[in-house]
Amino acid sequence: MLKEEKIMEKGETKFTFNDFARCEQPNWCPGCGDFAILASIKKALVELEVAPHQAVLVSGVGCFAKLPYWARTYGFVGLHGRGLPVAQGIKMANPQLKVIAFGGDGDGYGEGGNHFLHACRRNVNIAYFVHNNGVFGLTTGQYSPTSPKGTKSKSSPEGSIEVPINPLALALAEGATFVARAYSGHLKELIELMKQAIEHPGFAFIDILMPCVSFGRDLKYYNDKTYYLEKPFTDRGKAVDKALECEKEESYALGVFYRE
Amino acid sequence: MEKNSLVIRIGGEAGFGLAAAADILAKVFVRLGYHVFSSKEYASQIRGGHNYHTLRISPRPVLADADKVDILLAFDKEALHQHLPHLSAESLILYDDKIQKEDIPSSFSSFALPVQQIGIDFREKKVDNTIFLGAAIRCLGIDIKILDEIITHFFSGKPAHIERNLHAAKKGYEIISSTKISFVSSHPSKNTSSLSFLSGNDAVSLGALKAGLNFHVQYPMTPVSGILHYLSIESTKNKSLKVVQAEDEIAVINFALGASFAGARAMTATSGGGFCLMTESVGLASMAEIPLVIIEGQRPGPSTGLPTKTEQGDLQFVLHAAPGDAPRVVLAPGDIDECYTETKRAFYLAEKYQLPVIVLLDKYQAESFKTFDLEKEELSLLLDFSQRWGIKEKVEEKELLRGMFPRYVDQNSFQRTLPGTKQGMYTCAGDEHDETGEIIEDRETRIRMMKRRMGKLNLIKAELPSNQIYGSENAELTVVVWGSTKGAALEAVEKLNREGKKFNLLQIKYMCPFLEEQTQKFLHQAKNLLLIENNYSAQLGSLIREQTGVEIKDKILRYDGKTFTVDEIYEELKKRC
Repeated sequence: MLKEEKIMEKGETKFTFNDFARCEQPNWCPGCGDFAILASIKKALVELEVAPHQAVLVSGVGCFAKLPYWARTYGFVGLHGRGLPVAQGIKMANPQLKVIAFGGDGDGYGEGGNHFLHACRRNVNIAYFVHNNGVFGLTTGQYSPTSPKGTKSKSSPEGSIEVPINPLALALAEGATFVARAYSGHLKELIELMKQAIEHPGFAFIDILMPCVSFGRDLKYYNDKTYYLEKPFTDRGKAVDKALECEKEESYALGVFYRE
Repeated sequence: MEKNSLVIRIGGEAGFGLAAAADILAKVFVRLGYHVFSSKEYASQIRGGHNYHTLRISPRPVLADADKVDILLAFDKEALHQHLPHLSAESLILYDDKIQKEDIPSSFSSFALPVQQIGIDFREKKVDNTIFLGAAIRCLGIDIKILDEIITHFFSGKPAHIERNLHAAKKGYEIISSTKISFVSSHPSKNTSSLSFLSGNDAVSLGALKAGLNFHVQYPMTPVSGILHYLSIESTKNKSLKVVQAEDEIAVINFALGASFAGARAMTATSGGGFCLMTESVGLASMAEIPLVIIEGQRPGPSTGLPTKTEQGDLQFVLHAAPGDAPRVVLAPGDIDECYTETKRAFYLAEKYQLPVIVLLDKYQAESFKTFDLEKEELSLLLDFSQRWGIKEKVEEKELLRGMFPRYVDQNSFQRTLPGTKQGMYTCAGDEHDETGEIIEDRETRIRMMKRRMGKLNLIKAELPSNQIYGSENAELTVVVWGSTKGAALEAVEKLNREGKKFNLLQIKYMCPFLEEQTQKFLHQAKNLLLIENNYSAQLGSLIREQTGVEIKDKILRYDGKTFTVDEIYEELKKRC
């Protein structure tokens, strides 16, 4: 198998944003956070000088999961919750590739929760970006694993009974070596975090908060409830404390929580 | 007493080295030039219970177990109780002297081994099994030097183990004063250099390595954990091979699909329960057209069932598992030699036709051992696995469709690019898609893609050899079998034919695509048909009826966790003479 090498010789060819554009247009709802995430990943790849043929975008099932269909790179759109094992298999078979997996809060924390825990432990050199809007969009608006307890939805008319999953605390507990939270409404910061995650030599996880304009929270909710950490915690335990505090107080710190 | 073939059974509690004893003893006979078939019966527990190993040794190839036991090595009283019914007047019993002499019927020749007393010399280290081996070798008049060589090889790299076991073997050897069963007066052959002694799991692993396997991913499960063990050790020596133990079978198959998409030759192995978890992804492999080899070693279900026993109950399941019409290939090798060849074939078909290929084994095949002639078996399927099938290394700009590589385009030949290939980008898609892998919902494209995928089965049919027919032409009765029941049925048919009867045997090896024309022709020619399967509902019978319209009414079915012995099938066939 192939050895780990530099992705491309810098200066050989510069790729532009348009080199990553596909002819087909996304069919997400106007105003969906997925547009920002799609644009950000293309921009991050351009700025990191990754060639389109050296990037593989992997996803599962959900609105977000169509993302690879609208990027001019190699893509793998698999099954619900199963993006992470596919992405790890690709990277292990060919370490030269830049492999980026995408998940959703239903896909990645519900269906694929087990894969998430083990990917954190295994620390394969891939990036994992989760589109977290706290609701099931493609199945038309049921509560999701990240919906706060008491969320009323089509499938929880009297309010959901589960406490929400805490993805950052989970990742930290399982030994993840890069744990961050981003927000789709802040493009510049999102691109910067994505670049750091892609460059991180190990499993790099970003929980990306985003609105669901049809069934969930709007931009205002996140604009009011997010703030940036000054710098990453150097102590894993303190990062866990912060992650727990965020979910408890519904006030979300953004940025890198912890990295090794 | 002089014999040229015999059956040795080793019985006792789990944890007393029965498997090592069986392995060492088998290799002594392989070394002497005999054919050996060795099976194991065990419970789903690590210590205690009752386990036994059976070695069938003959100058002729042996393919399955027989009923009668010539030598019983009884490590405990339970072994005696369980296996006395299989002994005959000429049988010999070697037993641990903690068993009372009165427990052994006086009609048998028997020898008590003072295992505990000898064991004192070895302090806490258990060497019961080697003491038995030394005694057994002496009873058979075999030179202890051969046993010593095998022991030395078995424990190679562990000098303390070697010394201790050679000493124990000698002690056991010295207890017995003279040869009891004259066995070795005429060795069958001196030329045994190419013979090895392999399990079905070993043969699958070797076949996969021959076919260029470089990515194996598995979650442990009886009866195919042996494949994970074999390949894990191999990966410490062979740096091009990656072996991953992932968190569950869903992860396992998706790891394999990712690796295969990226260019690896990938395989996974599981049993029925694990395969249940994989089924959605089998459909993904069909839909996204990703090569994948899946080894499915059956055990009795449903649910956890009888986890350490054998059955052929997953045939209909693997044929249909996954939503929708999802093309896959199902190959069912009939013996350990065929495990090797059909695994090679699986890699070839998976890569060339870009779809999942399932190699269907069962516990009896996966965990039984047999003498194996690699040089001879290699000739069954000669392919150059240093080449790749269907991989496009260079893409010109003019070939692109809307800026992407049209990977899902042809109806008769299948080309893909590997990630990293310039201009080769496409989306490997689990949604219905067009030529570039773009998600679609229109009818025309859907129909075109369904035809492309399903059409593979007809192309593959033309690549498969005929199902095999053994025995006499114009037979009075044709026995139809698949998988591991082939061994016992074939030996029984051959024995009856030697006795002047006219039987033959049809082995169905290719389940999907099914060779319906050839099979139908043969079934129509047969005077009488008998179906033998190791399941409740005659699953091959259903498949044959579905594919050929022929219903085989005379059936022998077994679903008690065991398979058939040669003697059982022989008796059943005799009733039909």
